[in-house]
Amino acid sequence: MKGRWVLLVAMFAVGLLFVAPMVLMVLTSFKPEAEVLNPESAIPKHWTLQNYLDVLNWSEEAPFVRWLMNSVLVSSSVTFLVLVLSSLAAFGITRVRVPGGGAFFYLVVASMMVPGLLFLVPVYFILNSLRLLDTPAALILPAAGGGFGVFLLTQFMKSLPKAIEEAALIDGCSWLGVYYHVSLPLCAPAMATLGVLTFIGSWNDFVGPLVYLDSIQNYTLPVGIALYQASYYTEYGRTLATSAMATAPLLLIFAIFQKQIVESMSSTGLKD
Amino acid sequence: MSPRKARAMLGWAYLLPYASLFVLFVLVPIVVAAYLAVMQFDLTSPKSAGFVAFRNFADAWRDEYLQRAFVVTAKFAAMMVPSLVVVAFALALGLNAMPRGRNAVRAMVFLPTMFTVAVTGILWQWFYNLEFGLFNFVLKNLGLAPVPWLSDKNIAMPSIVLMSLWWTSGGTAVILLAGLQNIPRMFHEAASLDGADGWRGFWSVTFPLLRPVVLFVVVTNLIGAFQFFPQAQLLTGGGPELATRGVVQYIYETAFNGYRLGYAAAMSWMLAAVVAVFGFLQFWLMRKEAS
Repeated sequence: MKGRWVLLVAMFAVGLLFVAPMVLMVLTSFKPEAEVLNPESAIPKHWTLQNYLDVLNWSEEAPFVRWLMNSVLVSSSVTFLVLVLSSLAAFGITRVRVPGGGAFFYLVVASMMVPGLLFLVPVYFILNSLRLLDTPAALILPAAGGGFGVFLLTQFMKSLPKAIEEAALIDGCSWLGVYYHVSLPLCAPAMATLGVLTFIGSWNDFVGPLVYLDSIQNYTLPVGIALYQASYYTEYGRTLATSAMATAPLLLIFAIFQKQIVESMSSTGLKD
Repeated sequence: MSPRKARAMLGWAYLLPYASLFVLFVLVPIVVAAYLAVMQFDLTSPKSAGFVAFRNFADAWRDEYLQRAFVVTAKFAAMMVPSLVVVAFALALGLNAMPRGRNAVRAMVFLPTMFTVAVTGILWQWFYNLEFGLFNFVLKNLGLAPVPWLSDKNIAMPSIVLMSLWWTSGGTAVILLAGLQNIPRMFHEAASLDGADGWRGFWSVTFPLLRPVVLFVVVTNLIGAFQFFPQAQLLTGGGPELATRGVVQYIYETAFNGYRLGYAAAMSWMLAAVVAVFGFLQFWLMRKEAS
């Protein structure tokens, strides 16, 4: 019995190690600049909002609010597009059962095996030819072409009984009506997981904006703060305030959707 | 129009919006990657583009910088994957044995995977800072000499690995934990009756049953480790003395600083070939496990 309590305490201590960097980030972001470089106490002696105010008032070299808006625009567009396009495609494959749909599905799954690095240069080339480099579309469109959503929703729809949809069709409902009124609500749990994972992935994407964007005004948060940190690396208070604000939306999402996020991660290893 | 044909048209109407993006940003890039790899193609002078057959590959084969980058990437993978599996396994076993509070600790170790690599890099660069970083502050208070975490060419890579462990081991632990919880209770009970408890029970019962999940974790992380890039780009910029510049970073610099797209595409195929070998290995081993 005693061993179990030791384990409990030890595991909580390990858990704290994982959380500590984030706690330090938040606490330090409330310190005045002079205290930041002097880490004698983790808790600020003088609490201040100055770092946050400075960040929000940043000018042309580091327009934080602009980066935040870009991130919101890109991530929500990607999420919306992935949800709509993938569910439409999954509906076409599993419900309308279009000829060639199965082959298309296998092509999509096979493409997911190609390592991502191979796409870096050619997608740059294509975006350049389409004059889309350095625009939000350079991040949104390639992400919406990814196969994960189609894979997830097709598998999910395949596992659902078709009886309700067939009944709706016999009752005179159109295919589009069946998609919208029957299939989408049935897929809600899978759609929620897909939406959350897509949003997180897009919000955190670093290599995409690093490669496909050029002007500071168009950056999303991850490249923006990395650039700021590289040029003003001694201003840790402000850098950490930026990092805390860039992470806050994700922590909120994690708090709400923890079950879906952890479960979808867990199940990745259990597939056969 | 026959009803069958009408249904086919209708079905493709549902597929078309996704399929058009899939073709443009997944299939066409693969073709373009093949095309660029056999071309001399510099974005700074696109008019001088010309077919060079396999010369890019021949050049890459002899490129000393590429060889060094492959060594760096392999070094990262060799340090990262085994330590990740050990740390994640320890976390998963600990979590699995917890009488209560498991979900809370699971959320805590999983939390870092929610961070963008940019914020992760900023945090750890602060910890690793030579003069006012947290780690050296602690060492100083213990009366120890400061460690040049990122500026020594032998220490920089282990520092990157440590940060990557903080960032990703919680996610891997969650996968292994799900595998552990998937093992039916009766196996443990039977082993316990036969006197195989603790360490022996782990090696003779738990580990063999978990082999498919471990295999999955090892190979996916190996594939990920071979595409290692942003961590070094953020923490060290590939330095000191290129000691942490992996293949993807070299490709990135060739393509987007030097604008030599053809040469970068050829190197991408070479790395993709190495990664593909791991993919096939996984497929083959999984099949063997299944039969």
